Parts: sequence; structure tokens; C-alpha cells
Amino acid sequence: MNAPIPISDAPLVCWSCHERTLGTHFCTSCGKIQQVPEHSDYFAMFGLPRKLWIEMGALDRKFLQLSWKLHPDNFVNATPEEREISLRQSSELNDAYRTLREPVARVEYLLAIEGARVEGKNKQQAPPELLEEVFELNESLDELREAKASGGDTAVLKQRLESAKKNFQDKLTELDGELQVVAKDWDKAVDANDQAQRKSVMAKLNELLNHRSYIRNLVVNVQKELL
Amino acid sequence: MGRIVGIDLGTTNSLVAYIDAQTGQPKCIPGPSGSTLCPSVVSLDTDGGVIVGEPAQRRLLTQPERTIYSVKRLMGRGIDDVQAELKLFPFRIAPSSNNVIRVQLGEKVFTPPEISAFILRELRNWAESYFGEPVDRAVITVPAYFNDAQRQATKDAGKLAGIEVLRLVNEPTAAALAYGLHEKQRGTVAVYDLGGGTFDISVLKLISTGEGDIFQVLSTNGDTHLGGDDIDHLLQAFVHEQILQHDQIDFSPHGELAQELRKELIALKHKLSEVEKVSLRFPLPSGKVFQYEFTRGAFEALIRPVVDRTMAPVRQALADAQLDPKQIEEVVLVGGTTRTPLIRRTVQEYFDRKPHTELNPDEVVALGAAVQANILDRGVQNMLLLDVTPLSLGIETYGGAVAKIIPRNSTIPASAQELYTTGVDNQTGIDIHVLQGERELAKDCRSLARFTLRIPPAPAGLPRVEVKFLIDANGILQVGAKDVRTGEEHSIEVQPSYGLNDADIERMLEDSIEYAEQDFAERQLIEARTESESILAATAKALANPKAASLPETERAKVEQSVIALQEAVKGTDYKAIRRKIDELNHATEHLAEILMNTAVQAALQGKKVAEV
Repeated sequence: MNAPIPISDAPLVCWSCHERTLGTHFCTSCGKIQQVPEHSDYFAMFGLPRKLWIEMGALDRKFLQLSWKLHPDNFVNATPEEREISLRQSSELNDAYRTLREPVARVEYLLAIEGARVEGKNKQQAPPELLEEVFELNESLDELREAKASGGDTAVLKQRLESAKKNFQDKLTELDGELQVVAKDWDKAVDANDQAQRKSVMAKLNELLNHRSYIRNLVVNVQKELL
Repeated sequence: MGRIVGIDLGTTNSLVAYIDAQTGQPKCIPGPSGSTLCPSVVSLDTDGGVIVGEPAQRRLLTQPERTIYSVKRLMGRGIDDVQAELKLFPFRIAPSSNNVIRVQLGEKVFTPPEISAFILRELRNWAESYFGEPVDRAVITVPAYFNDAQRQATKDAGKLAGIEVLRLVNEPTAAALAYGLHEKQRGTVAVYDLGGGTFDISVLKLISTGEGDIFQVLSTNGDTHLGGDDIDHLLQAFVHEQILQHDQIDFSPHGELAQELRKELIALKHKLSEVEKVSLRFPLPSGKVFQYEFTRGAFEALIRPVVDRTMAPVRQALADAQLDPKQIEEVVLVGGTTRTPLIRRTVQEYFDRKPHTELNPDEVVALGAAVQANILDRGVQNMLLLDVTPLSLGIETYGGAVAKIIPRNSTIPASAQELYTTGVDNQTGIDIHVLQGERELAKDCRSLARFTLRIPPAPAGLPRVEVKFLIDANGILQVGAKDVRTGEEHSIEVQPSYGLNDADIERMLEDSIEYAEQDFAERQLIEARTESESILAATAKALANPKAASLPETERAKVEQSVIALQEAVKGTDYKAIRRKIDELNHATEHLAEILMNTAVQAALQGKKVAEV
């Protein structure tokens, strides 16, 4: 009789008319704008499953459709409560759109809500297969800093760093491609409802994201020294 | 509720506009002189009265120490920010200035929002006289590249003027609305807006949907200290140098002579947009006259650096929108400075497209503000504006670096949540420093605010405070905090780095009562009484005219009755009753006026004949 109901399945009740509502954004009884549900996420906001392949045209259309309804411009003459809710809803909508539009941000967000995003224990740790190249790069960076400090010739060093930078930028593109391949595996695991597979794909995605952020930082650092 | 208007609070000129109910088109409201431009100049009279607009502009020459122009340049800025400007502008900054600048006008001191409030009040008066109805709400435009502090200062100015600011709208976006491009166009639009003191570039996408047309801003960039003023300074510096060399007279930029020369040079600049050659003749105190002939070519060479400075933001905005110049389908020029032929040419060459210049570049932003005001007032329900935040929002992290939490060009409203905890046992506060800008180090970004999260004593790492940073539809930051474990909302006192806090505003609101002129009904009463006086005097004079003898007795009685009725009404305070009696008297004297008119015409005709003979 008194079986527990998971919070995510709790019935939605309108804050204004106190009736149960089936709508996610507006009350199906009184039509008032509704709070962002406590356990909502960006995928749910767009009525999408937690999958990584998203049809961009459909996402754009849904974004504009929801913007029409939720934007604060529609609530200028409404009550302060409704104005506040519209502000929350439309900022959530914009945040969701911004995140889901970018493939990398989308993966990062998915891992975060699945509780699977673990940043590298040591951010300074290079991906093992890149150790040697990273070591060389750091050496060149040190030499450049020394040369700058002592007023020595920096042209050759800069050239070497430019080509290293390009090399790492290519690696980034490569990683992004790999990320897309693994993203497809994720969608397959979701379709098959394969828990073990989901777990291993998430671990792989997490590792790729860590490599990506490590290399991005490297590129940024090199860029700063080259300026 | 009163009327709603759109206001362009400009560096050089300010305007107020509304939607004409008959045509549905936006229209600018003229002031007493008939012009729709209200110079953004404020002067303090010796009796404490505040003078705004054209009369204040005339006082720039006679009472420069009591008069200020281009105050928009000081909005939301601290004393350290404006050192460079102080060399160029005759701003008199009070010694008490620090994070909010205070300007000395005569014996009084005002903050930039207070001075802007004087301009807003003047515009509201224009609108109220025009409508004969009170105005209490407005959409005010701001440069798209204005940061949080500059926007907040503009909102504060509205509050101090007793106007509810329904929305701050970005100037280039407003211009796009005014052009009504959505009616004939789909696709991408670039708006190049060079005003008196600010430059903006915005890239928009026009989309039609089942519900209506959407103006989606894709990216924006600019420089809040670049505009026609800079062209004036180049001209001034050039002429000052010439005069120093030829006549050994050194101009102090603050003196009356420099103001007089500035006025001449601005007129010369405007003429050079129309003709190829203009001579300057300027009488010097020595009795000599300084003469110089400017050709458009020499002028363009002189101002080229200003034009070039606008192009880096243009390129950045296009890169952020991921578009090439060729992919832009329409280009719109906004701001008085875009009348300059060099600017028109440069923009046309860059986009390889003839820009729109059909609407008056001085009025277009105010017209757009009126369109947005109408949308917000639900007059129009099939248009939606999606704008962006021009600058990234960040939080200072360990070692003075900045963690970006909301990137620039995010559609607003936008938000970000950050989770914070403590580093040592029983730590009771976490200091948060919020910044805006694109640089990596906190010291290179704009400080927006600092606040301390208050935490109950607990072991290190146990507290969990979630801080929500939200940029609202005006581009202004709101901050809220929540204890994740208890769900309790924290109240946070955010101290703005540059700007007025709530207590300042309250105090200024009290002070402003001194300057706030009578309310609407009171002003209407004064106007109605003044008008009664003149019509009563005119009627008395007409009745005394010998020709009035031909007026039938019944009509004369009717006129006299109406005179008495109006004299009675004037003793009361109901301006509407006075207006009715004025109308009655006007009606009653129609025939009388006709008789006098005819005799006057006859007299004139006879006179003419006499002269001809």
C-alpha cells in the first residue's frame, strides 16, 4: 500500500492552482508557467532520451518553440512569481541548448548527470602514449622562456613550438573523431539496455575527455608563450 | 498605468519614441524646439534648477563649469578607468570619487546615473506633454558591449527618474527591429553601430516560425569607448597643434575657447560628409583669425585610425558567429557617425554589399526601442528577440586565474551553478570574486562584484554551497546561493565593484525629490492656466475692438458667459475642467474671430492698394 515512489516519478502539482499537471512547462489545468522540475535535466527539457546523437535541426526547432513560450518578454505584465519562474525556465532552456549543441559539452554533461565524470586524478598527468612528445614540448617551452629572459635568439625555438602546437592540434581533432565513434557505442548500449556495456563506454568517454582537456591546456600554454 | 515609451539614452543625443496607434509604426517625439534630438547635456543653474538639452548645450559656452556632456562615458566606471578620458573631456571629477565617479556641477556633486536621470526626466516630460497623459514605463537602449556595471548604472538612472525600466535592449538589436527586416528578409544581418561614444557590431539571424518572427542575435562585439567623440578629438588635437605652431596660442582643453572651437569643428565634420572641401575661420583672442582649409581626403587620412579600430570587433563578431563577410545578407548602418563617407565605403567594401541607410541613423535606435516596448506591452505578439551577453562571466580561482562559467555570446537569460566547499576546519566564509571579460587573469578582467558566503562551522570539505549565477534578459547579473545539504537559501550581500548599492539609490531617490519637478497633473495644470491667461486676454482685446460692435447681442452674451466660466475654472485645480472651458470659449468666439479677421484682411488689402497707388 505505502510503497515508496522514487522522487523522479512523483506526481507534478501546480504551484498556483494546486492541481496535478501533466505538462512539463505549463499547468494542464490553469495554464500557468511551471517551475523547472527538481530532477529535470537538459535532455528531458527537450524531450530527448539520454543519447549522444542529436538531430540538430530538430534541436533548433524545439529551442525556438520553447523560447516563444518561456521567454521573460511574455511575462512583463505577469505576477512576480511567474516572472521569476519564466526567468529560471528560460535560462535553463538557454543553458540546455548551449550545452547540447556542442558535441564535447554534450558528452561532458551526460557523464556528469550519469555520475560518471571523473577528472584526472593528477591533471598534470599526460596520456601515456604522448609522454615523450609532451616531454619534448615542455623542454622547448623552458628553452624559449630562458631565451626570452636572456634576450637570446628565439626564432628557431618558436618555429619548433609552432610545429609542435600544430601536431597537438591535430591530435585534438583526432580525439574529437574518436569521441564521436565512442558516442555511437553509447547510443547502442542505451538501445540494448546493456548496463555492463554502458559502464565501460562511459569509462572510455571519461578517459577521452581527460586526454582532450590535457592537450587543450598544452595548446593554450604554447599559444601564450608564442604571443 | 501610464503610457510606455522607448528611449535611446545616447552619448551625444537622447530620443524618445512610441508606436503610433493608427499606423502601427514607431515615431520619435519632438521636444519644445520641434527637434526630436535632445542633446545629452545637463547644466545646473545658480538657483539650483536643472537645465537639460538644447538650453544646456548653449550653456556649454557660457557656463562650462556648471555643464556636462557625454556623461554616458562615465556610466558604471571607476576613477581609475577614466584617467585617459579626463585629458580629453572637460569632466570635473569631485575628489570624493572612487568606485563611483562623482561629477562637480557648480557647487553640487552628482553621480553619472543621477545626471542621466535628469535627461530621462526631460524625455519623459516631452512624451507626457505630447500625449497629454502620464508616462511611467520605458524600454531603454544600451550599447551591446556594455558590461554589467554599465547596464546596472543605466537601470539605476531609470529608477532615479521614476521610470520603471521594463527592459534594457542592445542598441544594434533595436536598430534591426526598427528596420522591420523580418517583413521581407530571412537570414543573416550585420548591424554596424558607431555613435557618439560607443561602437557595436551585432550579427543576427532572422527566422520565421509558426508563431512569428524571431530575431536571434548570434554574436556581438564592440568598444564602449570609441565613437564620433574620438573623431572630434583628432580634429581638435590637429587644429590645436596648428594654432600652437602658427600663432603660439596653447589651448587648454577645458576653457571656453576650446569649447567654441569644438563646436565649430563638429559643424565642419558634418559638412565634410556632404561636400569635398570646407574652410575653417576661427577668430583668436589675439585678434587674428586662424584659417585652414580641410579637404575630405585630408580629413579621411586623419580619422582613418578610428575607422580601422572598428574593424577588429567586426572580424571577431563574424568569427564568433562562424560566418564569412560574404554570408551576411543584409548590412545596417546605425549612429550619426556612420554618415561619414569613409565609414560607409569601408563597411560596404568589407561586406561587398550596399548597407541600409534608409532610416535616420540618429533616430533608428529609439524607434527600435519603441518597437520592443510595444512587444513587451503585448501590443505585438508575433515577434521575439533573443539577445546574447557580450562578455564571458568568470569566477576568480586559485592563483588569480579566471574560470569562465558563462561564455560570451550565450543567449540570455543564461545561468551557471558552481558548487563550493571549505578548505579548513570551521571555516565560516568563502570569498567569491565575479568578473567579466575574455582574459585569463582576474587582474585583466572587469571586476563585477565580491561577496562572502557565510558557512556554519563544520569540518573542512563537508559544507556544500551551490551558487547560482544568472544573467537576466537585461544582461544584468543576479546571484543566489543554496546550502545543498539543508536546501536552505543563503542571502548574499553582493557589493558591486563599480556602482551604487541599494542604500546609495535610496538616498539619491530622497535627494532627487528636490529636483523632481511637479508631477504630471501639476504640470498640466500650469500649462492649462497659462493658456487660459492668454486666451482670456485675447478675448478681452477682441471684445474691445470697435468692429466687434457688429457681433449679435446673443453671441456676445455667450462669449461673456464662457469667459466667466473659464475664469471660475482657473481658480480650481482640475486641469481637465480648465481645458473644457478653454474649448468652450474657443468655440464661442469663432464668429467674433471671423469678424475681426475679415476686417483685418480688408484693412490689409486696402493698405496694399494704398501702397500700390
